[in-house]
Amino acid sequence: MTEAALPAPMAAPSVDRERLAAFGFVLPSVVIIAGVFALPLVLLLGVSIVDANGLTFAHYKRLLGSPYYLGVIWNSLRLGLLTTTIAFLISYPAAFALARARGALRSLLLATLFLPLAASVIVKAFAWTILLRSDGIVNETLIALGIIEDPIRMIFTETALIVGAVNIFLPFMILPIYAIVAQLDSRYAEAAATLGASPLVTFVRVILPLTLPGIIAGVALVFSLSVSAYVVPTLLIGEKYPTLATTIAKAYLLTREPGFGAAAGVVLLAIAIAVVTLSARMSREPK
Amino acid sequence: MSEAIPHLVVRSVSKKYGPTTILDHIDLTVRRGELVTLLGPSGCGKTTLLRAIAGLAQPDTGKVELAGRDITNVPPHKRNVGVVFQSYALFPHLTVAGNVAFGLKVRGAAKREIDAAVERALSLVKLGHLGGRRISALSGGQQQRVALARAIAVEPDVLLFDEALSALDRKLREEMQVELRRLLQEVKATAIFVTHDQDEALTMSDRVAVMNKGRIEQLAEPRELYLRPASLFALNFVGLSTRISGTVLAADNGKVDVETGVGRLSALGNFQAGSSVIVAARPEQLRISEQGEANSAAGRVRSVVFQGSRTLVEVDAGAGESLLAELSGRDGAVPRVHDEIRLSWPVAETFAFPMEAQV
Repeated sequence: MTEAALPAPMAAPSVDRERLAAFGFVLPSVVIIAGVFALPLVLLLGVSIVDANGLTFAHYKRLLGSPYYLGVIWNSLRLGLLTTTIAFLISYPAAFALARARGALRSLLLATLFLPLAASVIVKAFAWTILLRSDGIVNETLIALGIIEDPIRMIFTETALIVGAVNIFLPFMILPIYAIVAQLDSRYAEAAATLGASPLVTFVRVILPLTLPGIIAGVALVFSLSVSAYVVPTLLIGEKYPTLATTIAKAYLLTREPGFGAAAGVVLLAIAIAVVTLSARMSREPK
Repeated sequence: MSEAIPHLVVRSVSKKYGPTTILDHIDLTVRRGELVTLLGPSGCGKTTLLRAIAGLAQPDTGKVELAGRDITNVPPHKRNVGVVFQSYALFPHLTVAGNVAFGLKVRGAAKREIDAAVERALSLVKLGHLGGRRISALSGGQQQRVALARAIAVEPDVLLFDEALSALDRKLREEMQVELRRLLQEVKATAIFVTHDQDEALTMSDRVAVMNKGRIEQLAEPRELYLRPASLFALNFVGLSTRISGTVLAADNGKVDVETGVGRLSALGNFQAGSSVIVAARPEQLRISEQGEANSAAGRVRSVVFQGSRTLVEVDAGAGESLLAELSGRDGAVPRVHDEIRLSWPVAETFAFPMEAQV
């Protein structure tokens, strides 16, 4: 082989070529995100601060200045916080149980976790209304067993709302925590024990910090899903518990106030982004 | 002074997982300041024994005593042991210094005391300058040292090493063996190593316990273990050997005459006439030259392997038997493949083991 035939000139441009290839790979997702996500968001922001007379903050004043709409924002936050907290308390031990389970039991548990994801949120919310209404399965059973005489009001209460929301969003908390727990080397706990840490100290100083990335991912997912939930509050509690999501829908569909709806959308987005950013920062900086 | 007082005592410890016996009535006594290795193949129970001492595995029967205290039912965090794991198990969310400080922190030691102990432990393993580093920024060898510093920092009554060096590459491992032994002697630590690496066992330990099928087959100093293996298993597991099967013709006061495929051989051992035995000798005992009152056998050289300071010669002695001789550089002429040679070796260095014990 002669020297001229060696592919020597390839060496220098290959770095650029790699960059170009990498750019090529991300281009489709950049186009999609910019086109169907970023652009509408900019438009949304625009609609919320511009009306026929030019720049205006009237929608934000109305939203953040009235006790009623502050109550609406609080309802959304309350739904998000309660759902996230309860889902976390259920999910954390469940993730460990799932990671410890073996064979058929593990497959069964994973299936019960994944299968509900295939069903629509509307179907699941409706299922809860069937269970919880006055002539629903829960009340009928309790009456048949003689535990209660008259049906208990369950549907259209905050309890029903939170129970339903926790149920529907639970997989989004369990799965990220499970993914971390399943990879957690049992030697960490053993090392802590031999160094003199009691099981409780081991949990607080080792297990909890090491599973924090999963907790943060789960919290960010469930909070952003539940704070902006529309179907779940609409079906399980209705008019008396207005949230930002139901307010947005009402502004667009009923009262025809796109500017106000957009402003509510921006506030909701700001809340979700704040929580996700905060949790992302927490997971990046180990204590 | 207190050298002879038993420091760690394992009494008749047994452990079963389902129908499988992992530990079969293990007895082991370790003196203060002694370095003992549990050597054996995977599945021999050595790691389970270590975990029973650490409190990470509960024995079904038996007792463990450490520093004069019965710790059989004491949970691991109250035992004052130090464990260095094969995977090191360093806490990734803590710095190097944070890892070393962990044991003292959870014991509620004062901050100044902790800082001093961390500095001492890190300088002992020559990592004094890396205290602020994150674990993921360290090499494998450095992580090994941090794991050691973390275990030493709490001044445990016994240090336990679970295949602690096996993740290192060969050269680093050999350096660490020597350094670790020196370091442990310096801090007068009592230590137990678990390994399947015979070189590690011979290099690091005052005594070696050869384990097989949940039992200790032999507990001896490295030199004695090599020169006087107590069983065929110990012979096979530590060092090379020539092994020839045969039948005892006559037995006389600790010595037996054995009929084998390569002729009649004499060996040390107590057997009844008619027993099936394996006759064995270490390769450095076999010489090409004649030796007085010696066993000998002839054959054709099958292979010659030069290994620097020594040359291994394998001879096909017929009848399916082979001889292995190790010739040192001073032995003069080295035979070539296909040469017909006769090897001899002293009877006093020839051992007989019962055939059925073969693994």
